[in-house]
Amino acid sequence: MKSGNRLALLGLQNAPLILFVVVLLTFGLMSDRFLAIANFRNIVIQAAPIGILAIGMTFVLLTAQIDLSIGATMYLTASVLALAFTGLPWPVALLLVTVLAAVVGAINGLIVTVLGVASFITTLSTLFVLRGVAMWMSETRTLPFPDRITDLNRAGVLGIPSAILAFAAIFALAWVVLHQTAFGRQIYAVGEDAEAARKAGIPAKRITFACFVICALCAGVGGFVTVTQIGAVGPKYGDQVEFAAVAAAVLGGVSLFGGRGSVAGTVFGAILIKTVQNGLNIVNADPYIYPLVTGSIIFLAVAVDGLRTRILDTLNRRTIRPLQAN
Amino acid sequence: MTALNPSAPAKPGAAPPSAIRNLVRLVLSEYFVLVLCAVYALAMGPFVPELWSWEVASNILSDMMPLLIVAIGQTFVLVIAGIDLSVTAIISMAAVVGASVMSETNGYLSGGPLAVPAALAAMVALGLAIGTLNGLAVTRLNMPPFIVTLATRMFFAGSAVWFTTFHTSSSSIAGLPDSFTAFADASLLGIPQPMILAVVVTVVAHLILARSRLGRWIVAVGSNSKAATISGVPVARTIVATFAISGVCAALAAVIYESRMQTGSPITGENILLDIIGAVVIGGTSLFGGKGKVLWTVFGVLFLVILDTSMKLLGTSLFAIYIIKGGVILMAAVIDTLRHRILVTR
Amino acid sequence: MSPPAPLLLVEGIRKSFFGVEVLHGVSFTLGRGEALGLVGENGSGKSTSMNILGGVHQPDAGTMLVEGQPYRPADPGAAIAAGIAFIHQELNLFGNLTIEDNLFIDNFPRRGGLPFINRSAIRKSTQDHLAQVDLDLAPTTPVARLSQGERQLVEIAKALSRNARLIIFDEPTTSLTRREVARLFGLVAKLKARGIGIIYISHALDDVMAVCERVTVLRDGAVVGTGTSRDLGVPRLISLMVGRSIETIFPQRTAPPRPSDVLAVTNLGQPGVAEAITFTIRAGEVVGLAGLMGSGRSELARMIFGLDPFRSGTIAVEGVELRDPTPARAMAAGIAFLTEDRRGEGLLMEAPIADNAVLASLRSVANALGLIDGKRVAAASRTMAQKVRLSTDRVEDTLVKHLSGGNQQKVVIGKWLMRAPRLFILDEPTRGIDVGAKQEVYRIINALVEAGSAVLLISSEIEELMGLSDRILTISRGELTGGFDRLDFDREAIMTAAAVGADHAKVSS
Repeated sequence: MKSGNRLALLGLQNAPLILFVVVLLTFGLMSDRFLAIANFRNIVIQAAPIGILAIGMTFVLLTAQIDLSIGATMYLTASVLALAFTGLPWPVALLLVTVLAAVVGAINGLIVTVLGVASFITTLSTLFVLRGVAMWMSETRTLPFPDRITDLNRAGVLGIPSAILAFAAIFALAWVVLHQTAFGRQIYAVGEDAEAARKAGIPAKRITFACFVICALCAGVGGFVTVTQIGAVGPKYGDQVEFAAVAAAVLGGVSLFGGRGSVAGTVFGAILIKTVQNGLNIVNADPYIYPLVTGSIIFLAVAVDGLRTRILDTLNRRTIRPLQAN
Repeated sequence: MTALNPSAPAKPGAAPPSAIRNLVRLVLSEYFVLVLCAVYALAMGPFVPELWSWEVASNILSDMMPLLIVAIGQTFVLVIAGIDLSVTAIISMAAVVGASVMSETNGYLSGGPLAVPAALAAMVALGLAIGTLNGLAVTRLNMPPFIVTLATRMFFAGSAVWFTTFHTSSSSIAGLPDSFTAFADASLLGIPQPMILAVVVTVVAHLILARSRLGRWIVAVGSNSKAATISGVPVARTIVATFAISGVCAALAAVIYESRMQTGSPITGENILLDIIGAVVIGGTSLFGGKGKVLWTVFGVLFLVILDTSMKLLGTSLFAIYIIKGGVILMAAVIDTLRHRILVTR
Repeated sequence: MSPPAPLLLVEGIRKSFFGVEVLHGVSFTLGRGEALGLVGENGSGKSTSMNILGGVHQPDAGTMLVEGQPYRPADPGAAIAAGIAFIHQELNLFGNLTIEDNLFIDNFPRRGGLPFINRSAIRKSTQDHLAQVDLDLAPTTPVARLSQGERQLVEIAKALSRNARLIIFDEPTTSLTRREVARLFGLVAKLKARGIGIIYISHALDDVMAVCERVTVLRDGAVVGTGTSRDLGVPRLISLMVGRSIETIFPQRTAPPRPSDVLAVTNLGQPGVAEAITFTIRAGEVVGLAGLMGSGRSELARMIFGLDPFRSGTIAVEGVELRDPTPARAMAAGIAFLTEDRRGEGLLMEAPIADNAVLASLRSVANALGLIDGKRVAAASRTMAQKVRLSTDRVEDTLVKHLSGGNQQKVVIGKWLMRAPRLFILDEPTRGIDVGAKQEVYRIINALVEAGSAVLLISSEIEELMGLSDRILTISRGELTGGFDRLDFDREAIMTAAAVGADHAKVSS
């Protein structure tokens, strides 16, 4: 009985990985193009923007908050980029974009930490405001980008495409911050119990604030990478990406209740989602079923996680007396 | 800590002038949002005199009905500290399924005498089914409501589009019977029918939430589900019930939207999620559960719709409406937060 | 040469909140390697005194000297820096982090001038401190995997890692098993031997006696007595705390138990939790259940009330078997259940008294249409408030979280009395409430029993069990290990039977 449970648990613990393998095998059997190296490169490139956004979202989720405004932040910063910064060398333009994004994140963070408004409703409101401002500036037009920006998509170092480089760099940076710095460990403490963190002398509010800034920064960078890939920014730009980012993070094991998860999981989640979409594309599936499949996979992954928690609870239930052999 | 002594003075030196005290009392009262509606409408009077015309006022009321019905359903879910992101997908799905049943061009029951009633039943049953599915996933599978309804939202929004492709080559299912499309404009005893439906939903929802055992259970589950369990509350069933109510409300709203648009479109209600949650929160229902009233949601929806209408009448562009709406939702949330702080320190 | 200054000297501390003085000149001293017990009812000024010592509040008057040096911490950080550690009842550890991360969460050592954590340094240091508290665990173990007792040792290790000279313990034993308590006391002795001073706050006076050389008693914000544990003794401590003598605390019951059984539990069993549990409770009888933490006493209560599953055996209430119990079915059969975790499981803290009061009896406050009637809710709640002598009758606008612990407990009891239960299961009904409120609870229990109901009383306080019960059953490792009638009550025998391994004991009764 018990060993059966343990086995089930082992399976459930690695469920996202198993799911990933199943996805690979399924599409691999359906098309030989799918398992090609070049296609994996494509998948990672496609996953880069959402992955970068999801890494930022992970910081906010770890503190038990949420940021629904990242799509709007992306739209705003990309619009400003299109209107004002395209003449600048791209590193300068990128820097200005991230500064602007940081300001947006700081506003969210201040409202949440100083005024004490729930982050869900704060960022829901700033979502409206930021989209409004961006529409106002762009006059609700679709703004094109010059080649010098979109060329970045084809650029790279040592044959590694720029999008993958950006994705990897941000992942590495985020991983080091979360696991190797005091700030990172304190994020986990705040997410577990903000009140206890405050009592332990941790500046809980400053840490939460910083996570909103980091999340917005990632939205700025993610928006920039997206721009190099699609070459234009219009009113639908970044619409609902916040949900995709949350989905990627949760798929990778990040808890909405704070304190649980890691950026490695998040990156995995983003790649899994894009792998599925890429596979559907390669096997020429009806495009209408993409959201059905994505939704089902998220549902399945989280259902498995819930099941895992339940089995863990049963296994860890304290026994008062020895169990009789039966 | 000694026991609270209610007769003790609240705080030394706390004797604000009566004007301020009255203002504080108003901000703290649950009718604050209603007063805000009135103040706003008065203030806008000189700029948009039409706001006070009978025609516009009745437009506001009729505009608000479908939104009100979904928002009321959402209120139930928020009170148990859940959230239902799938409501807009339910509206879309219900709209196309309803149309597929009753459409006179290619509906399943095309032209039959039972076409409209069957379509209505199918829509409500669909809302009930998706809501129940959400609730079961939350209770049986131990999943967070945000993720459950995010997934079902993706799934059913996608399904609505896909479903439509089986019935028509255009983007929506047309040819709805007149008896159905007339619903939105027809009146009974001078009262528009959608309003009658909304009032009935409001009254029933109010009785459930404020006056029934289920309502007390819902509040108890939202405040402390363990304490609710030990008090004999069937916690899982209560949670499923709130999602089912939300699903049914979304389906009823779909009836009004569809009747008004005169076509079954898979993007019906697509963009109103933020309005729905914004309206409920403006009304004062807490996102953290345990606190909420149907009446508050009525005020919240009223406020959002008055705001929207006045902007449109002023010829405000879409971007400005976005900015103002966002600012107003934020302000409402800030006031609500400060209001709590005052209540706690008193 | 003058004698060396004591570790801590507190002299004439006064403190007011909103113009009301709550400490009227509190003084005490503590020597190196000494343990001082600090006892008093809730509201006596213990917490305020300790919060001043821990830097949470600042005193209005008075002096504090630590090893002869003036000490006046501006915040908790300053207290920690001065070597004063406060181990709160609710531990401040993060379950999602490792032991080493928890120890250094607010001041990680860095690698050179870089912002990176110096892992090797904290691992070494954590190992040392865990060894000092005799905890044989890897520094990288997540705290979530530790038992309550192990967590407490980690807190102590954390205090040691800050070079604590004085450690304040606030109710450290409430959630520990007997073995963990013994381990804690052993460690406290070791700390004392190292010259660390201990201030020990607890309602469990036996523990205070076991740990402390001296005890200071506070009442109404002033010290009413200080003496050695040997001279004072538990009865004298109680009378100092309450200001009257102990005999009056347990009111006498006049009506004897009646012959009919209200509850009959037969052969109840659940693998790993309980085995062959059989007992009955008669009408008008209080049966006490004596057992250590983790003995299965709360689990037994939860099984009877339908909260935990059981695989074998039957439960019958007034002769009718309770099949597949759920709380709702147990309630319908006439059972009420007061949980040991008042805040976590007993109350809707953010809701008013009235909403809590009627939650288990909604049908009785509904009108003919089945709708809840606000007037009936208010009336029923006010009747309840009077019955349990609540401190306020403003039942509709007083939130439960604003009540004292004792009054909160009265709300929970009142909620169940509204259903006129045939069997009331009380799990630690007086935990964390002051002596005055305790006495009220005893009075309510007696009134209920005299009216013919049955009570199953679970308590960690043996005096309480002996003072109220007609019969005491002992439970250990999920088995009943003894039964005692009121005439045979013997403190030592009951404690032995409750502490004995179930393997060695035969069930009597």
